[in-house]
Amino acid sequence: MNKVAAKQKIILFTCNWHAFSSLEAAGKNNLVYSPALVPIRISCLGRITSGIILKAFEGGAAGVCLIGCPEGECRYQNGNQEAREVFEESRTLLRLLGYNENLLQYHLVSAGDGESFQENIDQLVKNIQDNRKTR
Amino acid sequence: MNTFAEIVQSNQAWLCLDCGKCSSVCPITLHLVDGYTSPRLLVEGAVNSGEDRVLEDPLLWSCLTCQRCTEICPSGVQFSEFIHDARQLAWEKGQSGDCTHSGTIQSWMRMMTDPALEQNRLDWIDDDLRIAPESEVIYFPGCLPYYDTVFGDLDVEGTEIARAAVKILNHLGIEPMVLENERCCGHDSYWQGDMDTFRKLAELNLEAISQTGAKRLVTTCPECAYTLKSTYPEQVGSLGLEVLHITELLAEDDNLQKLFPTNSPELYPVTYQDPCRLGRFMGIYQQPRDLIQNLGYQLVEMDHYAHTSTCCGTSCWTTCGQLNKKVQSERLMEARSTGAEKLITSCVKCQIHYKCAQRDPISGSEIQIDIQDLTTLIAEKI
Ligand code: SF4
Ligand code: SF4
Repeated sequence: MNKVAAKQKIILFTCNWHAFSSLEAAGKNNLVYSPALVPIRISCLGRITSGIILKAFEGGAAGVCLIGCPEGECRYQNGNQEAREVFEESRTLLRLLGYNENLLQYHLVSAGDGESFQENIDQLVKNIQDNRKTR
Repeated sequence: MNTFAEIVQSNQAWLCLDCGKCSSVCPITLHLVDGYTSPRLLVEGAVNSGEDRVLEDPLLWSCLTCQRCTEICPSGVQFSEFIHDARQLAWEKGQSGDCTHSGTIQSWMRMMTDPALEQNRLDWIDDDLRIAPESEVIYFPGCLPYYDTVFGDLDVEGTEIARAAVKILNHLGIEPMVLENERCCGHDSYWQGDMDTFRKLAELNLEAISQTGAKRLVTTCPECAYTLKSTYPEQVGSLGLEVLHITELLAEDDNLQKLFPTNSPELYPVTYQDPCRLGRFMGIYQQPRDLIQNLGYQLVEMDHYAHTSTCCGTSCWTTCGQLNKKVQSERLMEARSTGAEKLITSCVKCQIHYKCAQRDPISGSEIQIDIQDLTTLIAEKI
């Protein structure tokens, strides 16, 4: 088993719908994605708060990714819009705290599309890892 | 300290057992929605029933540490300190009150304990403000840059207060230092019982501030002022300089002269909220009133003012709910009933809590009154 040191972990918050089904599809199709990712499924990405995001960084996470349903397709109408606001607020807080704001990433994915999930998530992980040096 | 009974002993809170006088003024006793509690009952529980009873008492978590009780206590019991010690013990046992705002604020406090942190907290300083790399005066804005982000949707004056403070200091001929790596003062960690975070923050601030060689430190937050002035010397060490809330500095005779060289025209009636830390904790009642009157406003006091002022209803970003909203709504109604057109605050947290309460759609217009910080009001006049 590939053990990832706590310091390198990237926390992936996924909603229960489009985002999680694309993650599952990637798994079913044996598509490989970064072992640094630690997925945490929440009912809706609108459930995320800046407190939860900061808590991940406080605990030593290398980065945080938020993935949810495409615009207009949130199961609960506007969860992804709320998540977008939390994302912006959290980036500002990270910047104030002297963290590189790119350590927090946000992306919307379509249901069941494992390949696009793999591609996008690879890019998010790369964005985070490229920005790690600064903090 | 290992037991709540020992904390009763060390704070002489056993005097409460025969008393109960402050139950008549405690805002939590007055407004608690489910059940009943009071300072006396909490102490009785600690003595007679032990740990579980204390941990279940809503007063342990919702006490505002407002010192309204201390103000009228015939026996000199520092009940807020009893609460602090009890929360510290609870914290050590892994228990604490519910964090508000999803714990964001507690997280940034703990993140600031990292000695290697290099914050970007000075973006609020506009080009027309003059600050100096070395100065006899430090301006300590506290968490204002962070509040801008979290409370922007409430139209809270966050860094507007900081800009106003530097503008006024410049007007008085002072170019203050503003520290790049100032940490949260730790007030809220202390009153939440999280002494580990408090000490780490305090030690970092102590080191950063004491090496500046400044003689005075000015804050616009009464909680920063009280913590730096009184809690630091008790817990980690003295900063070796004079700590002032901005109203103290501005109400000094020569500064009043410079700010208000001529009589101001007579303005509309306003009322003023005494923050607990500035008022009951530091005894600063007159200076903000002098400034308000010099601005030309007609000050009309609420029923509860100065020593008897009511707390803004939430403390240390912990436990906020229906009870707290009741304390805030009543206070806003009290402010309106004076006939004042504006409620003047001198603590950003009072402003945050009242502006948040005003969002309550049920109370509607009954609690609407314009709210502004005294520092920004003064800055507008110069
Ligand atoms: S704090 Fe003072 S007034 Fe309140 S119950 Fe105790 S002794 Fe009485
Ligand atoms: S400090 Fe304030 S809220 Fe706490 S017991 Fe005393 S009066 Fe009540």
